[in-house]
Formats: sequence, C-alpha cells, structure tokens
Amino acid sequence: MEAAGSQQDAAKQDGSGISYQVPNTLLSVQNIYKSFGSNAVLKGISLDLCKGQVLALIGGNGAGKSTLMKIIMGIYSADRGEITIAGEKVDISNPKAALAHSIYMVPQEPMLFPNMTVRENIVIGFDEGASELESRLRSVMDEIGWSLDLDRKASTLSIAEQGMVEILRGLMRNPKVLILDEPTSALTFDEVQSLLACVQELQNKGIGIIYITHRLAEVFEIGTTVAILRDGIVTTQGNVFEFTRDDLVRGLLPADASLSSGKARGAARKIDYSQDPVLKVQGFCGYGFSDISFDIYPGEIVGLAGVVGAGRTEMATTIFGMDKALGGSVLLNGQDITGRKTRQVISMGLNYVPEDRFNDGLYRIRGVAENTTSALLSSSRMGRLFLNAKEEERVSQSYVDRFRTKVTGLDQEVGGLSGGNQQKIVIGRAFSTSPKVVILDEPTRGIDAAARGDVYAVLQELRDTGVSILLISSDMEEVVELSDRALVMYQGRIVQEFERDQIVQENLTAAAFGVYQAEAKAVTE
Amino acid sequence: MSRIKQLLTRGQASWNLILIGLLVLEFVVFGAANPKFLRPALLFTSINDNLPVFMIALFVTLVMVTGGIDIQVASLVGLTSITIGVAWQDFGFSIWAAVALAVAICIVCGAFSGFLIAYCGVQAMVVTLGGSFLYSGIALLVSTLSSTESYQGIGGFPDEFKFIASHQVLGAVPFQLLIYVALFAIAFVLLHKTKYGRKVILTGVNAQAAEYSGINSRLVIMSTYVLSAAAASIAGIVLTAYLGTAKSDLGGGLTMDIITAVVLGGTLSTGGKGSIIGTALASFAIAFLKFGLPLCFKVGTQYLNIPVGILLVAVIVGRSAASNTGFVPMLRALFASKVGHGPNVKA
Amino acid sequence: MGRIKNLLHARSMSSLVFLVILFLVVGLINPAFLTPSNVSACFNTSVVYTLVAVGMAFTLFIGEIDVSVGANLGLVAAVVGSMLRDGQSLGLAIIVGVVIGALIGLINAWGVAIMKAPSLIFTLGVNGVLRGIIYVYTNGAWVENLPKGFKDFSSVTAVGDLTVYYCATLVLVAVVHFLLTKTKRGRYFHAVGDNAQGATLVGLPTRSTTILAYVICGVMAAVGGIIFCSRIGFVTPASGNGYEMKAIAACVLGGISLLGGVGSVVGSAIGAVIMASISYLLVFMGFSSNYDNAITGIILIVIVVVDALLQRRAIVKNRHARLAARVSSGTEAATAAEGKDQEGGEA
Repeated sequence: MEAAGSQQDAAKQDGSGISYQVPNTLLSVQNIYKSFGSNAVLKGISLDLCKGQVLALIGGNGAGKSTLMKIIMGIYSADRGEITIAGEKVDISNPKAALAHSIYMVPQEPMLFPNMTVRENIVIGFDEGASELESRLRSVMDEIGWSLDLDRKASTLSIAEQGMVEILRGLMRNPKVLILDEPTSALTFDEVQSLLACVQELQNKGIGIIYITHRLAEVFEIGTTVAILRDGIVTTQGNVFEFTRDDLVRGLLPADASLSSGKARGAARKIDYSQDPVLKVQGFCGYGFSDISFDIYPGEIVGLAGVVGAGRTEMATTIFGMDKALGGSVLLNGQDITGRKTRQVISMGLNYVPEDRFNDGLYRIRGVAENTTSALLSSSRMGRLFLNAKEEERVSQSYVDRFRTKVTGLDQEVGGLSGGNQQKIVIGRAFSTSPKVVILDEPTRGIDAAARGDVYAVLQELRDTGVSILLISSDMEEVVELSDRALVMYQGRIVQEFERDQIVQENLTAAAFGVYQAEAKAVTE
Repeated sequence: MSRIKQLLTRGQASWNLILIGLLVLEFVVFGAANPKFLRPALLFTSINDNLPVFMIALFVTLVMVTGGIDIQVASLVGLTSITIGVAWQDFGFSIWAAVALAVAICIVCGAFSGFLIAYCGVQAMVVTLGGSFLYSGIALLVSTLSSTESYQGIGGFPDEFKFIASHQVLGAVPFQLLIYVALFAIAFVLLHKTKYGRKVILTGVNAQAAEYSGINSRLVIMSTYVLSAAAASIAGIVLTAYLGTAKSDLGGGLTMDIITAVVLGGTLSTGGKGSIIGTALASFAIAFLKFGLPLCFKVGTQYLNIPVGILLVAVIVGRSAASNTGFVPMLRALFASKVGHGPNVKA
Repeated sequence: MGRIKNLLHARSMSSLVFLVILFLVVGLINPAFLTPSNVSACFNTSVVYTLVAVGMAFTLFIGEIDVSVGANLGLVAAVVGSMLRDGQSLGLAIIVGVVIGALIGLINAWGVAIMKAPSLIFTLGVNGVLRGIIYVYTNGAWVENLPKGFKDFSSVTAVGDLTVYYCATLVLVAVVHFLLTKTKRGRYFHAVGDNAQGATLVGLPTRSTTILAYVICGVMAAVGGIIFCSRIGFVTPASGNGYEMKAIAACVLGGISLLGGVGSVVGSAIGAVIMASISYLLVFMGFSSNYDNAITGIILIVIVVVDALLQRRAIVKNRHARLAARVSSGTEAATAAEGKDQEGGEA
C-alpha cells in the first residue's frame, strides 16, 4: 500500500501543476458521443490518462465502458468528440492506427489465433527478424517474471494463460497506453494476484493503464485514479484515495436514487407464501454456478441481481435445458424438470427470455408473427401438420396489441425494429406458450427509457395474471422497482437474499460486488 | 438505384416479379427471333431435358434455407439409376421393386450425410463433397455387379417404366412435367404451409435461437438432406426412364445447375430465406435460356455455361453488394458489441 | 528436441504416416508394389493435383474456397496447348498461361474480398463461365499435336525415378512452406482464417491477404494446367473437370480445415499423393480401380468427422473449464462437480 500511496502523491502533484500535466498526459478523450441507431451509448465522455497512472474504470453493464474502449482502439468510430495522444489530436480510424500510437487493448474475450502457437500469437504483425523478436520476447517475459511454453497451441491455453498471451502481445508493442478489459473476471485467486503484481510493475515503468473491472477491491488495490461510468456519462472521477467503497457504490447508482428505500414501485402486492412454490430449485449445480437453492411462489417477481459472469445466465440456461446440470434438482409445480430437453421444459410450463437478444432470441430477417409464434411450433396449438395461419395471426396480433409494439404489420422484419420493440416480441414469444414461470434475462438491456417503462408495465400486467417471474438483471434500479424478493449471485453462488423492504440499490450493488458482508461488518465495528 | 437495392435484398414477391419479367423477356426476345420457340410441343421437349435437375433444386432449396449446401445430390442421381438397372436386370427384381430399393438407398445416404452435418457439426460442404465421392463410387461398384459393361448402360426397360418419361397427358403435356408439378406442390406446401417448413426457415435464420424456441434444429437440418436425397432419387428415376438407360454417372455435372436455380430463385446462401416458387421460376428461366439461345441465336449448347454462370455471379454479387450497405452493417456493429459482453460458446 | 516434437504433432504428419502405412499395407499384400519405380509413379502422377491443391490450400487457410480451379486449369491448358501447337515459344505460352491464372484469381478476389460475395457460390459461377469460355476458345475440339519435346519432357527424370516436374514441385512446396511458416507475411494467411476479428485487432491487412490468396490459387492452377498439358499430351474441352473437388479433398486429407487457419501446404501435397495414388494402389491390392471414388469418399468422411468431434470436445471442455473457474473456489460442491464431469468425460 505504501508504494501505491507514493504513486498517488505523484499523481496528485501532476494534477496540481499545469506545466507537468501537459507532457505527462498520455491519452485524453474529450466529449465522446456514440449511438447505435436510436440508442445513445456514450453521451459526452471525457477522460485523461497520465504516465504511470492506473485508471480504474467501473460501471454497470451497458454503461458504455466497452464501447468507449473500442472507440479508443479504432474498432468503432465516435460520432463526436476527439482523442488526443501526448497533446496531439489524432484520428484513430482502425486498430492499426491505434497500434501505431502505442495503444494496446487486452480485450475481455481474448482474441487469439487458436491454431497458432503462443509464440506466433505474440510476434505476429512485427517487422523485426525472428531471432530479434525471440530475444525481445524473452526479455519481456523475464522482466515480468512469467514463464509460458511458447510452443503450445493457443487453443490449449486456459483462459488465464490466454489473458497472459494478450498482455505479452501488448507489452511487445512497447505500449504507452495499455487497456485491460476485465482481465480478472475468469481468473483464479492466484492468477489474479500475479496479474495485479504485473500491472503494478508496468505502472512503475511509466505505462498508462486503463483497468476496467467489476471488482471494487481491485480498484483500491491497484488503481491510482478511478472513473465511474453510468448510462454513457462519467459520474465520478478522481484519485482513488479520495474515495471509500460507499462512495463508489453510490457513484454506480443513478443520481436520483434514494438510498434508504425503494421508490417508484408498483402497488404493493400480497404474495401468499403459504402456497406451494411454483418453482423449487435445490442444491442446483452446473457449469459456472454451484449449489443454488431458491423458491418462487405463484404470482411473484423474484429479482436476481449480480454482475456479468456471476453465473446467473448459466444457471437459467441450464434450468432451460440448454446445458448439462451437474447436480441438485429443479421442480416445476412439483414435477422434476432437471435435465429435461428445452422442448419439454417449455411444454411443462417454463420459458426463458434470453440475455443475448441478437444471438439467441431474434430471427432478424423474419417477420413479427413468425418470431412471436416460434416457441409454439412444438405444441399442437399451431396446427398438427399444417400451420394454423389464423391462430398465428391471432396470437401475434394479441401480443402486439397487449404490449403496444410498434410495427407496420405482422410481416415486418424484426431486424428493422427498435430494441424495445424487438424485446417485446421476444417477451411475447416466451409468454405465448402459457408458462407458469418465465425467466427474463436482462430484459431491458440496450433499450431506451420509454421502452423500458413499457416492458415494466407488461411484466406487471403479466404477473397479475398469475405468472411467476424470475428477473435476472444487472440494472439494480430495475430489480428494486419490480421485485417482491431479490436474490444476489456472486461468483457462481447466491450470496444474499433480500426481502421486499430490504431491496434497495445500495444493498444489491454491495452484494453484487461481493462487499455486502464486509459492509455489514464495518457497521457493527 | 435504391429501388434495385430493395428488390435485391428484401421481398421475395418482388424478386419473383423480376424472375417473371425475365421469363417474359425470354419469350419476347426468343419468340421474336425465332417463332418456333413458341411452339408448345418444342417448349415441352426443351423443359423435359432439364426437369430432373429442377426437381432436385426444389428440395435443395430446403437445404440451403437451413444455411447448408448439398453437392452430393448429383452422385445420388447416378446411384439411383444404376441401382434400378442392376436390381431389375441382374437380380430379377420387378421394375417397381427396383425403383423402391433405389429410393430407399438414397434416403439412407441422405440421412447418413445429414446426420454427420447436423449431429457431428461437420461443414455441409465437406460432408457432401465426401458424399459425392462415396456415393458415385458406390454407384460405380454397383455397376460392376451387372453383366453389362458399365459404359454401355443398362437398357431395355419395360414400357410401364418408360411410361414415366414418354407418356403425354392430353397428347401434349409430358408426364414428367406432372411429376414436377406434384413435387413442386409438395415442396411448396412443406416449406411455406407446414410447421415443419417454418422450423426449417427459423433454423436457417438462427439455429441457436431455434433451440431457445424449443425447436430440434439438428433433426430439422438432418431431415432436409433426407428430402434432397429423396428428390435426387426421383430425378434419377425420371432421367433413367427418359434416357431409357441406367448408368452410374448419370448425374455428373448437374451441381452447378442445381445451385444456380436455387440461388437465382432468391434463396439466401446464408440461409433463412428461400422460396419454392422462386426456385421454380428460376429453373424455367434457365431452361428457356438454354433452349432459346441455341434455337434462336445458334449459340452452341456447350457454351451455355457462360450465360448461366454469369447469371449466378451477377445475382450473388448484386445481392451481397446491396446488403453490405444500409442497416445491416449497423446491426453487425451492435452484434459485435453484444459479443463482447459474455461467453456465448454453444456446447 | 522441441522442434522434432513439433514436427510430430503437425497435422500433416499424420497424413504422411497414413501415406506410409498405405504403401506398406499394399506392399504386404503385394510385394511387387514396393519397387522404387512403383512408388515414384505414385508421386509422379500426383504432380498436377499437388500444384492445384497447394493453391487451393491458400484459399482454405483464409477460411474461403475456390471451386473455379478446375476450369482455370482447363482453360490455361487449352490456351497454352494451342499456342504451342501453333508454334509459339514455350516462354510466351507459359507467361500467357500464368497471366490468365492470375487474372482469374483477381476476379475471384474481387468477388470475395471486395464485393463480399459467398466464396463457394461466386467461384462456382466463375467456374461455369470459364467452362463455357473453354468451349468458345477451342470450338469444342481437342487440342492435339503438341510439340513432341514438350510432351516428352514430362517423363524426364531428375532424382531416381522421380520426374523433373515432381522434383520441381517438391522444391516449390518446400519454398512455399518455408515462406508461409518463417516469414512475417506468410503467417497472415493462417491468422486471417483463424480469427479474422483478432487479425484486424492486431493490425493485419486482412483484405490484401485475401486477394493475394486468390491470386496465388489462380496462378498455381495455371501452372498445374501447363504441366497437365505436357503430361497428358492433349487437351479436351472437359479437361480439369472435377479437379477442384479432388484438390479440396487432397487438402482435407492433408489436414487442412475448411474453417480456415489450420494446416500446411506440405499436408496438401501429401493429400494430393494419397488422392492420386489410390486407384494405382487398388490395382496392386487386387481390386479394380472402380473402388477409387468410394474409398476416397470414405477416407475423407472419416477424417473430417473424427477431426470435428475432437475439436468440438476441446471447445466444450474449454468452455466448461472457464465457467468452472468463475465459481468461487474452496467449496466441496464445486470440486465435486468438477470431478464428476471429468469422470463423465472419460466414460
């Protein structure tokens, strides 16, 4: 901590003297705007990065962190705003240009060439001779104390090793700015420690580092400065030592969020907890999650909060029959649905709205009706052999009306709809099979505020018909607004359950970042 | 310009109109150049040569709608033909039993390739390439079981078999055209009117989303190869009856015509969109082109690959050029940002 | 040591082992086979396949395909053959042939890299056009009466019983392999096919790599056409038919994946020898060469299916491992689940 302290002092001095700041500012982005279609992702981002700084960048899902980094790397181009490097305005139109300016990004998902050796992966794209590269690579590896078998094929590497290769790739380019996008999300404890040590080493060499993370502990461990992104703007920015954990949690929350109690909730509903639960999950284990137990009662909305990678989606898809269950049981209305095929799970009364609307949800080049009724094809409602066109029209029209989906006709291709309307169609599809339980995975990600309100109204209306909902969301506000009860997952396990009056954003956020217990302790001390 | 783009990228209905326009143009141009072109009897003969190919194209459309490709069908035509010949002539099967045997064998072949594609996750191109070697090889081996030398072909089929190709309904309409119409109706109803066809389409758009909708996308994919193999065997039967001889290499060189008919008919090579009507219209456009050019402009029949090839290249380039601008790249960009959010490797 | 280990692990190595075992098995069944002249004959006959397959390998490395090489080869053979027949100099003929090949490569590159058309269908169309052009050029006639010296040169041997052509091809393969593995740009082909997005991210020129791959493929097919001319001694309008499929099969046999990024030109050369010698070997094993296609098909299918299953297992294992790593450690449940999975995997 001492070393970090002196770093912070240095940073502070840099900040106070203008004459020092100019030569030391490596990278500066000003007023960056970026929208995808009607969806504004970045709304005027300004950030500075100096020599030897570790800028910890935190923010919820969809806050725009990855988009900002992709703009800096030249993968996307900004709609507005400018990037300056060492005081000079630059135009980064492709990754090659970013590399030429000594910027390197270690992406969240490593982008290695799986069929090449580690050596080839690292040295590809350099102009120097092979022996020269080899000796340089050796010296870089010696310097940070890593040993990797350079002749192994990249496809045999663990995710941590892949991350190491990516970092070596970056170091070989003598970067002035190194971007690490959630490098520890898939690492074990030891690997995290060695990575953090490496980051500190790089920092001492004067490299500017942007460190994106979901783990607040890491911010304090290695960050010198911190910036919080929320909804496309920087809400909080400053030196790390100026903040406490609570400050950061607060910065992650919407500005108008009241910390003491939830607001804007739907009318209180009485859930009859003496009934048998409609969904009973016991000791459920699978890939990416472990030992999950919870109940859902009829007509209840249960929020499931957590950060990306906490295992929520994996748990949901495993219940839905998309992956192998490794233990435990899932009972739907008393019937065992553990390990059933997706078709059977749907027909037994559970449906799922996927997190990844584009890859798993939509048939983009097909019409509204075809999308809405796609989950009904296995039931006889759509006809035995021939398609029942009348029923198809009736069902899809009913959801279009009920959800107030804006379409020009039932045959309009859904790829051309706005995100909110697309999501309504996917939700309609899940409810078309008359389920008893629906799991919604990030139902409002990437859709605008108005559509979000529509989706909430739809969910409350559906709940009133007696359907139970498990709402997976990284948007804590959403969990607060909709849930009767809330669960929080962290690193593959349910770490906390909150009753209705405890569901407030700061509790959820703290638990999702794995610091809820610590906080409670702090209070008692 | 944007209108053309629209026609190329969206709306099967407008694409079908273009194809009908092409057909009308052919009739006008060829008819004006040589009025013989418009004689029904001649027209029917001209179609007859190509009909078996286009029967296959109808069902290869289903395969391509799932996003796959089938280049083994041509070899199955030969396998059907030689199986009928050998089973009938050398093993004493009745002609209809021989036909049934040939169809059954083709279905097994299609199921085998389809299984490897759908359940083992091997690329359709590679499997059907291997299949084209294997099944044409088997056809050759079957031909060695016969007492007749394979290059001669087995002939002398009974009249009731030759009836398939020689009979003319109402004195003018060839019987095999009726078979084509029947197959067209089956394929059309199957793809556009049944739940099965809907599953084929949805699987082709997004196989993963189909799994999330509870559709058994693997079974659907496999079944399309069974159907295309069955169509190939029917084409083999008709072609054998038409030519009057059974040979093992009967279907050689048909692949390009089949793929051209399907792609020209508006089926996306990436899957998810396709039209049986489009394939049929494209088939006839190609057939009349191949008939009209030699008849009216003295173009040698061997040169006919040029216009057909140009047609294929022009359509595929035009379509991808049209779809590479507009909101598709935007969607792709969104897509890319999605991919970054979490693991999505499907087991 | 590491280098030897690497060599043994190379995918082309298993093809070489397969080839050696194939020769030994044939030798065991019929000892008459194992003479230098017989074994050399296997290599000598593969020379055209090898050249085409090496070119094809480039398009497969980048994850695309080129099915126009057969017609490319036929056209170049026809042009070069007729030029030599008409008394033009050999040097000029070779230059013209290579330029034609390069131009065809450029056309394909335009369609695939610039217009973003699906490569299989685009090159299929080009194949059809070229086939037609061959008929236009030759008027459907055979190109015969080539200079005797040109024809005879094909049987001149250089090392032992190996012809000059094969030895030169071997040198070429070695040089190309060296360039691909040891030079900076050489690795780009595999990189683009392995992970196009990743290639862009580290600043590789993906588009020009694609263009170069198609030009190389076109030129190699052209060189194959020239050698074809010399070895066969005449050119028919159908020359080169089916070579594209044999070349793809050779590449797959040699360990190249159609998904891109995997394999070596050495592998494709070995695959070409296997493809070319199967019918020759069958004769020595007492089978008729009729088994040729069936056996090729079986080998092809078995190899790709086994490969696909192994790869899929690796992917699933990887995914599960990384998901398991995310679950907070130190609890029995997680480790128990891990152990259980591993048992399941073994079983």
